[in-house]
Amino acid sequence: MMKNIGIIIELDKGRIKETNFGMITLARAKDTELFAVVVDADAEIVKEELESFGITKIVEVSLAEDQQKNPVVRAKAIINVIKEYNICAVFGLSTAMGKDLLPRIAALLKASLVMDCYAVDIKQNLVKTSQYSGKTSATIKAAGDVLIFGVRPNAIEPVKASSLAEILKFDGTSLISKDLKVIKTGDTDTSENISLVEADVIIAGGRGMKNGENFTILSKCAKKLNGAVGASRVAVDAGWVPYSMQVGQTGEKVSPLVYIACGISGSVQHFAGMKTSGMVIAINKDENAAIMSNCDYYVKADALEIIPELIKHLGND
Amino acid sequence: MNKKYDAIIIGAGVIGCPIAYELSKMGYKTLNVDKLADAGEGSTAGSCAIVRAHYSTADGVAMAYEGFKYWLDWKKYLDNVEDEKGLARYMNTGSILIKSQGHDWKKVQKNYDEVGVQYEEWDNDKIIEMVPPADLHEFWPVMRPEDPKFFDEPTKELEGAIFCPEGGYVNDPALSAHNIMRAAEAKGAEFIFNAEVVDVRSENGKTAGITLKDGTQIDAGIVVNVGGPHSFMVNKMAEGVWEGCNIKTKALRHEVMYCPSPEGYDYLNDGYHMSDGDIGCYVRPEVGNTFLIGSEDPDCDPQEWVDPDDFYAGKGGHGKDNVLTDEQWKAQCYRLGQRIPTLQVPNQPKGVVDLYDCSDDWIPVYDKSDLPGFYMAIGTSGNQYKNAPVVGRMMAELIDACEKGLDHDKEPLQYKFQYTDRSTDVGFFSRKREINYNSSFSVNG
Amino acid sequence: MQIYVCVKHVPDSAANITIVEKNHIDENLTFLLNPYDEHAVTEAVRIKDSLPDAEIIVVCLGKDDAQKTLRSALAMGADRGVLIESNKNHDSIETAQALKTVIEQDGNPGLIFTGRESIDAEGMQTMFRIGALLDFPVATNVVKLDIEAGRAVVDSALSGGIANTYEMSLPCVIGAGRGLNTPRYPTFPDVVKSKKKSIKKIVFSDLKIESLAAGMNIVELEPLLQEREPKEIKGDAGEVAKKIVRILKEEAKVI
Repeated sequence: MMKNIGIIIELDKGRIKETNFGMITLARAKDTELFAVVVDADAEIVKEELESFGITKIVEVSLAEDQQKNPVVRAKAIINVIKEYNICAVFGLSTAMGKDLLPRIAALLKASLVMDCYAVDIKQNLVKTSQYSGKTSATIKAAGDVLIFGVRPNAIEPVKASSLAEILKFDGTSLISKDLKVIKTGDTDTSENISLVEADVIIAGGRGMKNGENFTILSKCAKKLNGAVGASRVAVDAGWVPYSMQVGQTGEKVSPLVYIACGISGSVQHFAGMKTSGMVIAINKDENAAIMSNCDYYVKADALEIIPELIKHLGND
Repeated sequence: MNKKYDAIIIGAGVIGCPIAYELSKMGYKTLNVDKLADAGEGSTAGSCAIVRAHYSTADGVAMAYEGFKYWLDWKKYLDNVEDEKGLARYMNTGSILIKSQGHDWKKVQKNYDEVGVQYEEWDNDKIIEMVPPADLHEFWPVMRPEDPKFFDEPTKELEGAIFCPEGGYVNDPALSAHNIMRAAEAKGAEFIFNAEVVDVRSENGKTAGITLKDGTQIDAGIVVNVGGPHSFMVNKMAEGVWEGCNIKTKALRHEVMYCPSPEGYDYLNDGYHMSDGDIGCYVRPEVGNTFLIGSEDPDCDPQEWVDPDDFYAGKGGHGKDNVLTDEQWKAQCYRLGQRIPTLQVPNQPKGVVDLYDCSDDWIPVYDKSDLPGFYMAIGTSGNQYKNAPVVGRMMAELIDACEKGLDHDKEPLQYKFQYTDRSTDVGFFSRKREINYNSSFSVNG
Repeated sequence: MQIYVCVKHVPDSAANITIVEKNHIDENLTFLLNPYDEHAVTEAVRIKDSLPDAEIIVVCLGKDDAQKTLRSALAMGADRGVLIESNKNHDSIETAQALKTVIEQDGNPGLIFTGRESIDAEGMQTMFRIGALLDFPVATNVVKLDIEAGRAVVDSALSGGIANTYEMSLPCVIGAGRGLNTPRYPTFPDVVKSKKKSIKKIVFSDLKIESLAAGMNIVELEPLLQEREPKEIKGDAGEVAKKIVRILKEEAKVI
């Protein structure tokens, strides 16, 4: 029997974010029909792109103008789509927006949901996600009439598969939320720093940074990477940066996806705070520094020469 | 051909480095071998690096006081050798010893008088003036929070403290070992890292050298065991050495906590090192305006003897591995919370778990061994950090004297201090001694 | 007003995790109050500071040992605790049902707090499920909260310091985020005081939770940490930077 799979497409200024294509690739399986759900976008504009990844149905959801940003209204609309088209599995991105949307859908449907997953076996309903601050990988068996999967952004390599898609219109303009109203939606520009313990990327400085001013270079780089700046105990002890930035046994314990250590020797105490990081890139002049033999990539160089170049190359994106 | 040195020192921590430094100054060609990546990265890095003079014996006080003089003029000790990592800093906060039933403070005071250590006697008003957030009730005996009596309202007051203006801590113990390594290298000493010793070789009943894990053999007629928590394993590698020690060493797991100072109290800049036997804690300021809280190992606390390799690999489980436990976190922080009632105690433990190299009577073994050419500076048990430069000199003289024919077991070396006008009987630290029941059997020494 | 704070007893993030019986962890390690829940408790206490009649009740589903976590919350200023005792691990569907049932039995919630996620299961959904069961509005990763004129105005943080502002009717459910406040930790006298506070025990099976078709069961746990094999990135500064960008993009997938 054909299974209908719903994929919630995340758009940025009317365009499909690149990371959706990996999610579509993940959702594709034998005997399935892929329904892409686009909320408040012109399906005609995104049709061709979605077709090149195997989407056969595009559900264009329209909402009342003043309800478009309301996560409750969006959730209700998607629930209606799920019911209308007999959808048994829903894929969405585990982004900030997804974290505010997918659990609302799951809660209202009393459906199972696994967030931040990086592998899904739709035949056996098995999902993989990480638990315990990135220390373990959990395989979860999801059960129920509707299964919802929050897919970790960029976790899946997109693979093309051509198809022809039919556009279906869903009118959700009568949907409202009485008890939650949106006052303001986030501006894209913000000066607030990302918290060290929550950052996906941390760029940290140690003795090799030489002084406090040089940490502004790391801040610039962190901003480009949407990450946070950390420091070794030495840098804090020297008064270059505040204690709140210290990573290590006596500072914060962090598990970012990427940890870039600049001029940090990598003492046992420092490792105690960052050893659960996904990828460790070490930049150090001293090739004998402990961190050089306990990382994924190392650069034998002065971080003060590499980081400004890195900022330049990130800027070109 | 194996490489050959006059002396191989196993370990490059804060005791191993000064031994190399002093031997090199005497003209010995030395090599330090350490399984870690750099000097001071082992249990030295986990040390609280406290420099204080109060010990239960006059010799203990004298040695610590002598050590203090080295820390005070660190550059001079290093012979002005520079370190690309910078120099460790000695922070002279002054040192408060609370008069309590937990310390034999009268003995300490007598020892201070005998050695000539400066001190002041403070009454409770003076303590409050100097440490405003303190509550000076007596909480003795030291208990654990699992014991309901721990939370009983105290009734009696303390009786003041002895304040020693000469005392404090070293801000970065690993760096201090690194500094000494650089100073030693300037005198010709060599160091190799990421090199694990698996055998101490002997020939014809004399020390011949070491073998590394990768099979490399290095020769030397002198081998010194400064293996820290691994010391007992190194002694077992050398023929007849472990069997010839009446005093043995073992690795003891030890937790040190970091708890933020109460709001409005600048402990980092205004605070003192304080030994408080009444609550079984000692404290010193730490980066981030936090209290570093050490434990004086009260009898009610569990003692966990562990295999050092398993420990550092994170094995053994709760209370045995290298992760802080909530039970001990609460014990140490709440004890300090009795003394500092405005101290806020976070839920997540923060601090250091490391190993003490502990002897049967908590007094170190600075000695030769039953194998000619094999020496040991072991069992340094968490209170010898401050003495490291003194021990370096003393061990070098002991080694030199023994190599020149001294029968140290029969006629123990008398070591003459460099700064303090005293000598000490190195035989006090003999491996052959009976357990010294005058010891505090704790970190207090 | 009664403020309910749902808390979880979780392994310390610093703990060494050992997997046993394929899909469990060895629980002989340090457990503590979930760090996000600390912000929830602190915020409840802050609200109580201006509403002295408010009562803060902490509720936890867990094993008997989870009493420690309730004690931590009581020391931080909550008034009393309820432990829903169960030796099983429950998914967030069952957890929300249990919390909802107990809260309804216990009193009349004006506000319900949770942390934005637990640091062990990292499910990020229990607050929404509680809200749906009670028909209360929900906001998660809340970094700012104002209770005014019977409504809650919240900043719900997205990534990179960006936030949406929502207005919700009361009662509502708040998933506390890191930026909400600085946790107020207990002093020793607070701990002494909290010893007298009560913890009521309820057995999970007595709640007669409706069994649903939906569920999430962990079938296998595997350690994720592997030995690192260092590879050198060579070249001049510009080349190295280019290579790092490529690694971040293609391998780490963070840009």
